[in-house]
Amino acid sequence: MLSLLCLVLFVPRVLSSSTPVAGIFPQDPALRMGSSLTATCTVSPERGLHANTMYWTMNGKRLPSSTYDLMSPNCLSVTLHHLNGSQQQSGDNLVCHSGDGHVLAGSCLYVGMPPEKPVNLTCWSRNTKDLSCKWTPGGRGETFIKTKYTLKYKLRWYGRERECEDYSTGQRYTCYIPRDLALFTPYEIWVEASNQLGTATSDVITLDILDVVTTDPPDNVHVSRVGELEDQLTVHWGSPPALKDFLFQAKYQIRYRLEDSTEWKVVDDVGNQTSCRLAGLRAGTVYFVQVRCNPVGIYGSRKAGIWSDWSHPSAASTPHSERLQSGSCEPKPGEQNSTLRRELKQFFGWVRKHAYGCSGMSIKLYDQWRVWLQKSHKTRNQVGKNNIPFISVPTQHRLHSYVL
Amino acid sequence: MSGHVKNMCPQLPISQAARTLLSLLLVAAIDSVSAGVVCRKQPCGSSLQISLKLTKLIHKESADLLKTYKVSQGDMSELFCQMSINNVPDPNISGLDPSERMLSIYSHCKAFLPHLKRVTEQQTDLQPPSSSLLSKLSTAQNRTNGLANQINCIYQTLFPNLPIPPEPVDGPTSVPPSQNVFQQKVYGCVVLKRFKEFLSRVTRELRTLKSQVCTRRTTFADTNALS
Repeated sequence: MLSLLCLVLFVPRVLSSSTPVAGIFPQDPALRMGSSLTATCTVSPERGLHANTMYWTMNGKRLPSSTYDLMSPNCLSVTLHHLNGSQQQSGDNLVCHSGDGHVLAGSCLYVGMPPEKPVNLTCWSRNTKDLSCKWTPGGRGETFIKTKYTLKYKLRWYGRERECEDYSTGQRYTCYIPRDLALFTPYEIWVEASNQLGTATSDVITLDILDVVTTDPPDNVHVSRVGELEDQLTVHWGSPPALKDFLFQAKYQIRYRLEDSTEWKVVDDVGNQTSCRLAGLRAGTVYFVQVRCNPVGIYGSRKAGIWSDWSHPSAASTPHSERLQSGSCEPKPGEQNSTLRRELKQFFGWVRKHAYGCSGMSIKLYDQWRVWLQKSHKTRNQVGKNNIPFISVPTQHRLHSYVL
Repeated sequence: MSGHVKNMCPQLPISQAARTLLSLLLVAAIDSVSAGVVCRKQPCGSSLQISLKLTKLIHKESADLLKTYKVSQGDMSELFCQMSINNVPDPNISGLDPSERMLSIYSHCKAFLPHLKRVTEQQTDLQPPSSSLLSKLSTAQNRTNGLANQINCIYQTLFPNLPIPPEPVDGPTSVPPSQNVFQQKVYGCVVLKRFKEFLSRVTRELRTLKSQVCTRRTTFADTNALS
């Protein structure tokens, strides 16, 4: 059979429209992982090349001659077993060479698996205006070759099937439907996956847009001291403006951590208040605080929505303990002195540069500097982030004077 | 009302030569439109300098483009670039005098465009949508088109009596017919390699042309169709 192929099947010259040089069969095949392939390279007799001088490479790596079979004076085959998934989506390069290394012909192999049912399909709506969905490929094998995913949706009781069109949100396996979504009526949503080896369809999920609503994080989050209480801070925030028109109530969650810690403590029972007092804190310590919102009762629904992202961190410090402050004001010798001095120098430098319009030193200013430090540390470790904005200090916020 | 019509426009005593000169100046001052591109007046050296800068930018980007392309095609793709292919523009600028060489630059830019477009179409099928190769190919096309327009404007103003031949025809005669994937990989590599070499030559050529054709009082148009 293979000999017949070598004799009869002659692919036109690879690279130009004149006399064919050589050809490989099969061309651009799609194959399952673990399968075998026998390919033939047939060279034009006019080239004067003998097939026993030719050799094969796969993705640049020479294949052992033990896998070759000389079919005829101008036809050499190679057999590959247990094929691995393709190294690149454009296909593995199986190339036939003359003895001096010149490329005679090539064929691109697509080795992968048929798609499995996409899983973990979840969707959310931002302020009831749109719908975003994400899913996970059902299997790993399908990721080796180009697999197309199509998100489809339709109203459960009527309406035609529609396809999501915007897959370019920057994240893989997501799609975005920007408009024209009905409320108070369930949608059926699913994902179809297809590649050269097969197709698969996810389970259908049913949802009402109003049941998967999320919103923007609360804005204007302010953290401040509670008088001279050394173990408490108070947090105030605004409700997300986008939900103003139809939000019945929202519930909030707060989390806070020590400045030097990565462990967050979560306050769950905030309810629908827009302020909260944190107690049991450590004296003389900077805390970072974030708030997030869950829209509930949208248009009278009793269901909760989806938690928003956390707000940007806000910071404040608790007053120093009186007992500690009544001790010696003499700075401790050695490194603590130099550490404090260095820190103060950095702080003053920041004030000169960033806190324009500030008419007085205040603990709030110091706390804002600590927040800025944290953010700028994160920004240096990330790629493509924007500049951190200046923090201007409202002159009315002179809450406390910091003892220097 | 009498049939006699009195000429109400006073005639100024302007000589014929002055009128001719005035007409010529007016024509020169008006923005000219050539091949859909608005050419605006700029000093000679400045226009060629702008084109030179654009060429350098595209050339620099073409090196990165070729590198990205090779990585996207898999190992051994370096060999693909060395294979011979018909119908891909060669990188050489031809012509004996400045007008011919400038015309050659323009023609080559136009000739490369359908090939860049074809490579982009092919790679759109072969690469994942997030591949940076696709955006780089698109940028190369846009910038090359802009460069062609600039050279067009400069040529038209420097050599108004020398017509530009009709633009190369887009279509199946200038790009290869449908190819298998391996052929596409080779084709793309050859196109981008020759494109890079062409831009290197254009950079040198524009430097030479600037010194050859720009005098102090030469003023000509450039295009604002920079991309």
